[in-house]
Amino acid sequence: MAQVQNEKTLGEKLLSIPRGVLFFILVLATAIPLRCKVTIPNNPAENSANLYRILMSIPEGSTVLVQSDWTNSTRGESRGQFDALLRILMRRNIKFAVLSVGDPQAPQVAKDVVDAINRERAEKGERQYRRWEDWLSLGLFPNAEGTGNGIALNMSNTFATKEESDASGMKRKVMLSPVFQGVESVADIAAYIIVTGTKSSQIAIERLNNKVTMLALVTGVMGPETLTYYASGQLKGMSAGLKGVYDLETMMESGLNVTGSPNQVPAVPGEYPGFPGQTNLAKGTQYILTLHSAIFLLIAAVVIGNIGVILSRKKGQS
Amino acid sequence: MNPVTYDAIKLTLGVLATVGLYTVLYRENKFYRFWEHVFLGLAAGWASVTLWTETLKENWWDAMLGKSVEQGVSTGEPGYWIYAVMLPLGVLGYFVYSKKHSWIAKIPIGIILGLWSGQQIQIWWQTYGPQMKASMLPVVPTTWESLTRPAMNGLTPEQMASVTANIYPSQAIGNILAIITVICVLTYFLFSFELKNKVVSSMSLTGRYLLMIGFGAIFGSTVMMRFSLLIDRMYFITIEWFDALKLLIG
Repeated sequence: MAQVQNEKTLGEKLLSIPRGVLFFILVLATAIPLRCKVTIPNNPAENSANLYRILMSIPEGSTVLVQSDWTNSTRGESRGQFDALLRILMRRNIKFAVLSVGDPQAPQVAKDVVDAINRERAEKGERQYRRWEDWLSLGLFPNAEGTGNGIALNMSNTFATKEESDASGMKRKVMLSPVFQGVESVADIAAYIIVTGTKSSQIAIERLNNKVTMLALVTGVMGPETLTYYASGQLKGMSAGLKGVYDLETMMESGLNVTGSPNQVPAVPGEYPGFPGQTNLAKGTQYILTLHSAIFLLIAAVVIGNIGVILSRKKGQS
Repeated sequence: MNPVTYDAIKLTLGVLATVGLYTVLYRENKFYRFWEHVFLGLAAGWASVTLWTETLKENWWDAMLGKSVEQGVSTGEPGYWIYAVMLPLGVLGYFVYSKKHSWIAKIPIGIILGLWSGQQIQIWWQTYGPQMKASMLPVVPTTWESLTRPAMNGLTPEQMASVTANIYPSQAIGNILAIITVICVLTYFLFSFELKNKVVSSMSLTGRYLLMIGFGAIFGSTVMMRFSLLIDRMYFITIEWFDALKLLIG
């Protein structure tokens, strides 16, 4: 009799799958697809397309400001976004200055990624981006609100104390660098690009959106609320989450609105070619299949749980 | 140390930390606690050093002291001693730890709050002004050539400009839905008086459901982000670490 009472019904079994088993399946579902070379079809979202369109429209030799506030805590999404952004900027010879207003780790993380992309370019025999000449690390500005106001009102003064070593090793003010040649205020910057996993993008948008073209590359968590700023035109383009990374990589590979061959040159206005034959499909392409696999597992777990509840209730009623 | 060996050791420590921190999902344990404390210690140490090297030294200390001319290193710079005023002002904040003199800490906090509050009027308008303007969407189609907005692929710039300038019926429907959503959600937040009118209360209820749909979409996006973080950790362990070990073994 006792044996009969202890025997679990199917519904109860479904509801009592050990956590360890679920975690083990999750590990398999996220580790195995990483080794698979399957390309998922992609149609870039409008916001990602506009981001790419603006990045490809910036005249060569211009300067952009990159506010990099991400750290390794959001590496899964932000690293892919930052890699793609740097590849586009470097391939188009656009100068950039990186500043951080969020996490103290952010400046070092950004420097490491620039070095990594530079190594990638060196291996392919491409020109390396030189600090001082082509890019600057402006470091950490711990007060996002004050920094945003400072950049809006007087950018030169905000960066006045920052120094970098020039080609001869002499420490000089960053505003004297070729990166800031011809730049006096934020209005002279071609674009202000924010890569973040926090609300730091919103603090910058609130202070700068009417002074400079603003673009954002944010994590999936920040995506929905940042989309409001895109819909209202305060942001001219944005990439959100892993889908945003995959969108950028897809456009870097195949171009945007390119009807013929992706490497047709010159592109007509409205067509933005990609960079075929170069490293385009990276983190986003590698992770997107695994994301599908993990989401499928999540949906399966929800379905199994609901079936378990329904079966248990039926058993209770009978 | 050989760079390959260094990389392998560095990544192995990273793997141990990753696995250690994830073990808390199973249950609380000492391995997790150890790595949690390592992480907190490193983060606090890093933050302290970075605040000095990246911010205070350049923006305050060097600016205050100035720089002497050093051949090939520095062209020299005058010091601005007025920056010294910042130190006592900042130190006042630490009186928060004194029971007797904690009121003194309110002075720097008050200055910061005042500066912040003063910005808010302008910031509020710069934030929500464009959003309010963008909520006023056209609801009447300007063309019936096509139900939906045509794809841009293969169009000439003139055709693209024409497509962008027109409001297609599907866009008009989308705009009507957006306006209804804005009005219903705003109605939901009418808490100051009782909603007796049936139309208003129905709009409020609709607003609540629409908010739920919005929260659901946000939650879905959040779940995807959490998965992305896990996927990156799995990439770190199963690809980056394995590759480093393979290189080490040769």
